Amino acid sequence: MIEVTNLSKHYVGRTAVDNLTFSVEPGEVVGFLGPNGAGKSTTMRILAGYLPPSAGSAKVNGFDTFKQSIQARRSVGYMPENAPLYLDMRVKEYLHFRGALKGLSGRELRRRTGEVMEGCQLDDVRRKIIGNLSKGFRQRVALADALLGRPPLLILDEPTNGLDPNQIRHIRQLLHAFKSRQTILLSTHILSEIEASCDRILLLHHGKLRANDTPQNLVRKLRVASDVHVELTGGKDHATLLAQINGVRKVTEDKADSPWLRFTLRVEARADIRESLFDMALKNKWQVRELHRELPRLEDVFVELTMSDH
Amino acid sequence: MTVLLTLFFKELRSFFYSPVAYIVLAMVMVINGFSFRGAIAALESGPQQGSLVSYTFTSPWFWWSYFFVFPLLTMRLFSEERKLGTWETLFTAPVHTWQVIAGKYLAAVFFYCLLWAPSLLNFFVFQWMTASAADIPTGALYSTYLLIFFMGLFNLAVGCFTSSLTSNQIVAAVMSFTISLLHFVVGIFALYLGRRLPEALIDIVHYITTKEHLELFASGLMDTRPLVYYGVVALLFLTFTHYVLEFRRWRV
Repeated sequence: MIEVTNLSKHYVGRTAVDNLTFSVEPGEVVGFLGPNGAGKSTTMRILAGYLPPSAGSAKVNGFDTFKQSIQARRSVGYMPENAPLYLDMRVKEYLHFRGALKGLSGRELRRRTGEVMEGCQLDDVRRKIIGNLSKGFRQRVALADALLGRPPLLILDEPTNGLDPNQIRHIRQLLHAFKSRQTILLSTHILSEIEASCDRILLLHHGKLRANDTPQNLVRKLRVASDVHVELTGGKDHATLLAQINGVRKVTEDKADSPWLRFTLRVEARADIRESLFDMALKNKWQVRELHRELPRLEDVFVELTMSDH
Repeated sequence: MTVLLTLFFKELRSFFYSPVAYIVLAMVMVINGFSFRGAIAALESGPQQGSLVSYTFTSPWFWWSYFFVFPLLTMRLFSEERKLGTWETLFTAPVHTWQVIAGKYLAAVFFYCLLWAPSLLNFFVFQWMTASAADIPTGALYSTYLLIFFMGLFNLAVGCFTSSLTSNQIVAAVMSFTISLLHFVVGIFALYLGRRLPEALIDIVHYITTKEHLELFASGLMDTRPLVYYGVVALLFLTFTHYVLEFRRWRV
């Protein structure tokens, strides 16, 4: 559905997108991840046909976004960041207008407008002027607009930006419903979102593709540090002794009920220090009431991969 | 075609939703009213060489309403889209740039025609109320309105062009006003300087002088040359607009 080959976008003085190559199969839900300024929005704009690439090519549904722009655009439902809308139109009017632009007409247009309004829970505000709507509703209008032509590819730039948890959940359910029928490319900062909905993650940093894999594989393959929590009592100099365990990067003390002490140990990737810790506790006659290893999460992957330049 | 009509009606609706349109409409009607009254006053003083039509359209009042209309109608067209960010949603829909330009331009032209309709009514109301106290040469009347339409085509195209250059409506308005005014002033200055300018230049200036065109048409002479001139230059500015927009989009 999407084929990006050596895609680059240069601006004066900086490179927004640097030699990107990836592909997305029909029916996949792919998440675009990356710090702000990584080039996510730029890549999405190129795929939507709004910007031309400086080098390389981007193909959507088999159509080149530059050379066969109109056909490519017909296959895409795009929702830009911050949901720009015409503030003087009513919701129904706006969706009608957008549908007509996308080639719908007559009864089909009316039916489809009704469907997306219902799907995005906009029925109550159909006659309201968009300028008077709250951000959450405006996002939903923009999403409804993207869904209108029933395009095979949905490109959503931060669709849950600024929404409350209820609305976020609703949008997630909505996207889940479209999963099988449409391909979705979405960008977001909410990692739990990505873990919940996405089949695959594309991690961008400074315009370069740093990772292209499923969330589970990323966490597993990458050498990411994990945390071990331990609550103990008895003896002394716990911090110094714990730091001496092979594989421990850092020891921090947390709050706990006296006389128990709680420590969090930052452990090197792939090292499992639980046995060594228990042996040490036995040797020093500590009493241990909790020993728990927290597996690395996606957030750790994110920080690890993008930490280099911050 | 449907896309063009959709854009046309949407833009027209936007015109009527904004208060600027009604203010401009009121302003033009008031000024035309004064201009018409001035013409009647001129005829009241005694038998004159000119007709009601020629006096109405050569009065200074008329020019006041003429210049302010164009920036006010066109400043919003493209600048607002850029400012709101809806440019992105517009151009990620399967629409051609020329459709967008044509839709907006034609909506502005349609509204412009609406602006001048009431002043046309002035003449007919006068005839009906005074039982044709003064002769209105209908040929001159219609040909003058035809010229005004074409002048409108030209100036609205200029307005579209300046609107596409910037996201700031005020800048677009000022640029449009300046270009329209300069075009008008070139004609007047050259005519006043007269003998001091080379012959060839004077001929060119006669070709483009708006004031002179209007005087000719108001006296009943319908010359197709100014009509062609305005039509062609309007197309030229629309083409410029297209280039500006395409350049912005395809800036590699």
